Amino acid sequence: MSWSPYDLNGGTCIAIGGEGYCIVAASTRLSTGFSILTADKSMILPVNSKCLIASAGFDGDRSQLHKVLTFRSENYEHFHKKPMSCPAMAQMLGNTLYYKRFFPYYTFNLCAGLDDQGLGCVYTYDAIGSHERVGYSCQGSGKDLVQPVLDNQLKAPSILELPPKVAVTSLSKDEAIETVKIAFSAASERDIYTGDAVEIFVMTPEHGVQKEILPLRRD
Amino acid sequence: MIPHCQLPSHIATGPHVSPFVSSPSHAGRAEDLHVPSSGSSAPFSVAPSADHAEASAGAEPRKHTTYPYVTGNSVLAIKYKDGVLMAADMLGAYGSTKRYKSVQRILRVNDTTIVGASGEISDFQYISNLLDELMTQDFCYDDGCTMTPKEVHAYLCRVMYNRRNKMDPLWNSLVVAGVDKTSGSFVGSVGMLGTSYTDSHVATSFGNHLSRPLFREFQRDDMSLEEAVSLMQEALRVLFYRDKTSINKYVLAKVESSGVAISKPFALDTKWDLKAFVNPSKHAVGSW
Amino acid sequence: MFMTRNEYDRGVNCFSPEGRIFQVEYAIEAIKLGTTAIGIRTSEGVVLAVEKRLTSTLLVPSSVEKIMEIDDHLGCATSGLTSDARTLVAHARVECQNHRFTYNEAFPVESCTQSICDLSLKFGEDGDEDAGGMSRPFGVALLMAGWDPVEGPGLYHTDPSGTYINCEAKAIGSAAEVAQSTLKEQYKPGMTFKEAEKLAVQTLKQVMEEKITSTNVDIASVKPNFRLYATEEVEEIIKTLDASS
Repeated sequence: MSWSPYDLNGGTCIAIGGEGYCIVAASTRLSTGFSILTADKSMILPVNSKCLIASAGFDGDRSQLHKVLTFRSENYEHFHKKPMSCPAMAQMLGNTLYYKRFFPYYTFNLCAGLDDQGLGCVYTYDAIGSHERVGYSCQGSGKDLVQPVLDNQLKAPSILELPPKVAVTSLSKDEAIETVKIAFSAASERDIYTGDAVEIFVMTPEHGVQKEILPLRRD
Repeated sequence: MIPHCQLPSHIATGPHVSPFVSSPSHAGRAEDLHVPSSGSSAPFSVAPSADHAEASAGAEPRKHTTYPYVTGNSVLAIKYKDGVLMAADMLGAYGSTKRYKSVQRILRVNDTTIVGASGEISDFQYISNLLDELMTQDFCYDDGCTMTPKEVHAYLCRVMYNRRNKMDPLWNSLVVAGVDKTSGSFVGSVGMLGTSYTDSHVATSFGNHLSRPLFREFQRDDMSLEEAVSLMQEALRVLFYRDKTSINKYVLAKVESSGVAISKPFALDTKWDLKAFVNPSKHAVGSW
Repeated sequence: MFMTRNEYDRGVNCFSPEGRIFQVEYAIEAIKLGTTAIGIRTSEGVVLAVEKRLTSTLLVPSSVEKIMEIDDHLGCATSGLTSDARTLVAHARVECQNHRFTYNEAFPVESCTQSICDLSLKFGEDGDEDAGGMSRPFGVALLMAGWDPVEGPGLYHTDPSGTYINCEAKAIGSAAEVAQSTLKEQYKPGMTFKEAEKLAVQTLKQVMEEKITSTNVDIASVKPNFRLYATEEVEEIIKTLDASS
């Protein structure tokens, strides 16, 4: 068996954009193989008042990616005298991932926040930078369990609808938060890599970014 | 390999990886080293003829670590009221041979920080040199600041991750522990791929399976030194009973705001006449 | 011109004892030989107007480019050495596209101005001139007119020293002083775009040696996209001037 520079450290993240709010949530368990390394490791990077990034996948690459993004965001802020908007960060993240196309960051990202109109915006990625703007998305070890729940519960216009609409949920902020909590509780029942706790960041134009922690199954 | 850890084939064997991935002839050599009985080559020997054959064929000899030689096992660390405690045994194992029995695997970095290592001993000695140089630099600045445990941890995370990026990993799991005047106790770990975390208690390799359940149950950030030491001893004892690549010769280190103290090597009292040890299969009929 | 001219006026890497870098000051002088350019910012948009010196009737007027587009939302009027202006504009265009590539958004006007000034300041540096550095200061001033998604319309003035200033109305070039005092008298904060457009051309007309025609001025607007006016539009504006004056 040859040595691999990659590992998968598990964890699930969800992002939901709504009218005037955005939710980003991620589990805090860090695993390797069948072992739990720690029950309390955040995989969400609060970039600034307008943008959050959640990354599942390999922890080493996540740390590196988050450092790179923090650095670029701060540089942007110094040069342009304004925080990087969520759409700007989304494009930059896509480029950053693609620049490592032939030695990828093994991370599966969500970039979410509020756009210039105050509408929740969510971008979903693969490890090498392909991305699209969606109304909600999830990534990580529990995504197969969670995505159908979101599709079913969020009452967003179908992405197949023509003419195309941004599939933003019609749910209120509190309803959406409740859906996130249920989705994580459900995922932690069947996905061994999702558990211990979930961090929920809620962004609104009025209150900025607020954080809440919900305990999950610890087994 | 566990199936869910398997990488998509295009990533694991992409063109960027291939120069470093073992070719079949390499893999054969690796097998020879680890499984002495297989094949015709002598146990635990590197066949020089293979190297010559490669050199004459114009192939680059492999220079990167793809498996460890002399390894240390578990390192444990916990927080307690006034600081942190770290423990490790003194074995340097060569495969399953207990080759070196006085290997100091806990390093005092400065007055506030210690680092413990499992994995390849030579790589740890290299890391010790890096930290030595770093501390010499720190001393030369003479600015009254020394690196905090958190900073040492962040530094080691970068070192480990950068080496894995070069496909030339330092084959270790490191534990950093210490106290910081402003933010209090710190315990953190980083693996050979750059995977890192901090927690109230940390253990590497077998310790993560055998000791951390004990820590989860009994460790508290506000426990006394005495409680912490006895918990640590209990954890080491369990490890020694169950981990065959460990020896009953330990070093215990503590960091408090007053400084670092590393114990002399000591042994734990063990008890082997327990009924379960005398006849291990008695209570598990049908198993081996 | 300068009472203390001495050997310090040669190098760009050397301050004079009075603390001046003469070559930069001389470069600023070069702009005073350039054609006049005027920019006015209103809440509806920015207008740029420049004089074109057509030294021969055989010249193709459109080939004298004093107003250049940098990006959809950004353009500039120049005065001084046109070739230097082209270098700066080419740089600014690349920076704009880089920004679009990286961030999928328009380059902020002030940031673009800043990046031009960074380049302006790279004179006399050792090393590769391909990297953008020049052996001497750029002999050109720009009026950067743009539309920022956050800040709205923006008008910035840059000079060879790499300084930039945010302006409401600005004149540069040979008749800058006269034109600037006219602007100072007649610019009003709440001006409509139409009024600003007229003021710019009126001021230009006032300071031009030749009679103003649709061929010897260029006019452009940024509201919110950059657009260089066609000859007929320029004609229309000049007609309104004739009627009112």
